[in-house]
Amino acid sequence: MNPELRKLVRKAAPDGADIDALLRDLDFPLVDGTDVTFVFRGKADAVYLRCWVAGLDTAQPFQALANTDLWATTIELPKGSRIEYKFEVVTNGNKELILDPLNDIVARDPFGANSVCQAAGYERPEWTLHDPQARDGSLQSRKIESSVFRESREIEVYLPATFRKNRRYPLLVVHDGVDYLRYAELKIVLDNLTHRLEMHPVIVALIQSPDRLKEYSGDNRHARFLVEDLLPFMSDAFPLMDSADSRCIMGASFGGVASLHAAWRYPEHFGSLLLQSGSFAFSDIGRHQRGPVFDPVVRFMNEFREHPGRPADRIFMSCGMYESLIYENRSLVPHLQSKGVDLRFEEARDAHNWENWRDRLRVGLSWILPGPAWMVYE
Amino acid sequence: MNAEKPIRLLLGPQRPVVNLDSALARSGIGDGPIGVISAAWQEAEGDIDGMQRLVKNPLSDLLLYQKAEALFAADTRLHEAYRRRQEHLKEQQRLYRLRLRQLKIAARATLRAEGEPAVLAAERRHAISQLRALDKHHLRQVDKIHARFDNDFNVDCNTALAEHTSAFAEALSRFDSLLITGGNVVVLINRLRLFGLGPQLQRKNIVAWSAGAMVLADRIVLFHERMPQGRRDAEIMCRGMAIVPDTVLLPNASGRLRLRDSLRIGLFDRRFSPATCVALDNGSYLLFEGETLRDSGAAKRMTRNGKFKRVRAA
Repeated sequence: MNPELRKLVRKAAPDGADIDALLRDLDFPLVDGTDVTFVFRGKADAVYLRCWVAGLDTAQPFQALANTDLWATTIELPKGSRIEYKFEVVTNGNKELILDPLNDIVARDPFGANSVCQAAGYERPEWTLHDPQARDGSLQSRKIESSVFRESREIEVYLPATFRKNRRYPLLVVHDGVDYLRYAELKIVLDNLTHRLEMHPVIVALIQSPDRLKEYSGDNRHARFLVEDLLPFMSDAFPLMDSADSRCIMGASFGGVASLHAAWRYPEHFGSLLLQSGSFAFSDIGRHQRGPVFDPVVRFMNEFREHPGRPADRIFMSCGMYESLIYENRSLVPHLQSKGVDLRFEEARDAHNWENWRDRLRVGLSWILPGPAWMVYE
Repeated sequence: MNAEKPIRLLLGPQRPVVNLDSALARSGIGDGPIGVISAAWQEAEGDIDGMQRLVKNPLSDLLLYQKAEALFAADTRLHEAYRRRQEHLKEQQRLYRLRLRQLKIAARATLRAEGEPAVLAAERRHAISQLRALDKHHLRQVDKIHARFDNDFNVDCNTALAEHTSAFAEALSRFDSLLITGGNVVVLINRLRLFGLGPQLQRKNIVAWSAGAMVLADRIVLFHERMPQGRRDAEIMCRGMAIVPDTVLLPNASGRLRLRDSLRIGLFDRRFSPATCVALDNGSYLLFEGETLRDSGAAKRMTRNGKFKRVRAA
């Protein structure tokens, strides 16, 4: 337990002012080396830490601290870790999931928000923050009439700040693109990395599916949408380089599956992939245990493992060590390397979430689309 | 201008603090017109209004980059040969990098090793001499690739190139002084080479910053130890214009090098010795008259023991 907290608990009868002072003076959760103590103050029948970290209990119980209205639990988190969590507070048989009231650091995602625990050694990368020196790229909305889905689809297109009509650019297609903008600061990252010359100026097509769990699960229609609808539209509307090695697809989770699947179906169209925490579930024997939504994914991945071909020349993969998908992602690495793919794999002490994906973008994007920093001396 | 001893004013990056104006005012270059080479800015070449507001000398951009692009567009055979040469150079650089990596690992391990001093000293010397031999070999191979291209495409056999080269000679003759900006050092040196501007540059006063300064050395050394993919060893790219000899110029060294890693810095210095490796950070300058250093500000040179010392004029 944190020494300040221990001192308080050992007091015969700590009063409210002592507790107020402690809560005011310390940053929560309390990080002491690899020990992290979470603290909740309030009336409850039970309190649990819910942190969705593969390897830890789903619900870690808090202990009521004697003579106080404080609850606490300590877990061990290796240096450099970052996890997202909530408190489950049980009162009169009612369970409520809440953000940590003592912690202002919050990560948002399409389902809401989580509190964030930054273990010792973790620091948010400065290149994920707005840099006033970096010029702003622009975003514009476009509509594609999809012959595959027989409907119009809205996409966002990012153009770098240095965009000029008479130059040609590589194309990056981003699955769940709007979510990447909202939750992974993709625009800031693109602006910063381009400004620092760490990545090549690129035109980005940010696509968002109305039914991602279906369309991103190894659906041939989605792969056709990319090749037959999106690529021709982008080539007509923007000055793009005209070769596979200047086209990259990226995505996280099911977006990673969609990226790999499209490149596998149409290997001549995409030179590189950026796959983050891909939901690459497969089964060696018997039925998988991930639920019916994964059925098409497993069918595709099993077929892919049987006949991988060479989906792209260069692939960057990343995955959190604290997600259950780390096993599937690690398994894929030697498989792809054995096919001659130039592959870089990065693991992080993080889980299946947008800020994990955000923090890996610098290495990934500069690997896939290297900029001229090496040759430019301004 | 003293034609025997033209002035060379070398500056660090011009961001965040600009010292072009103050250094130029002190340099003795005077306030006559200055020809600008901003080819390293590529598409932004010629965008010199901001610079003009800083200095009182009338500036005029020579538009090397644009003219090279126009030449390539008009002469596809030349462009194709140029592209092929660049591919060869890239391949040569890749293989050099492959070998360099292993030699650098060995040299660093030898420098870190402990043992009998006399034995260690000999092994360290040899490890560094192997690096130097590889650098030399690489430079020779790069020279050969350039020589093949120069032999096939020169002013005697290519009319368009001859016209451009003579136009540049004419344009250059109007200026006693030139200003060469920072930017993409590969693009810059390639354009200077293409139009054969080396001999004329020798006779001019030159103000140059960052990449512009690098091309004036006898060897262009690329370096960046803070790339997203991790540390990368310094590489010789090609010969420079040899206007500032025996010097390796390292713009923004504090941003690009790990200056506190004395083992790496010491190795850097010994590898390129007897040339002096000079960190040209923002705000620094070196002022030469001919080959003699007359003044300097905030520039630091590497030392054999991995430290930095201020560069001082004689």
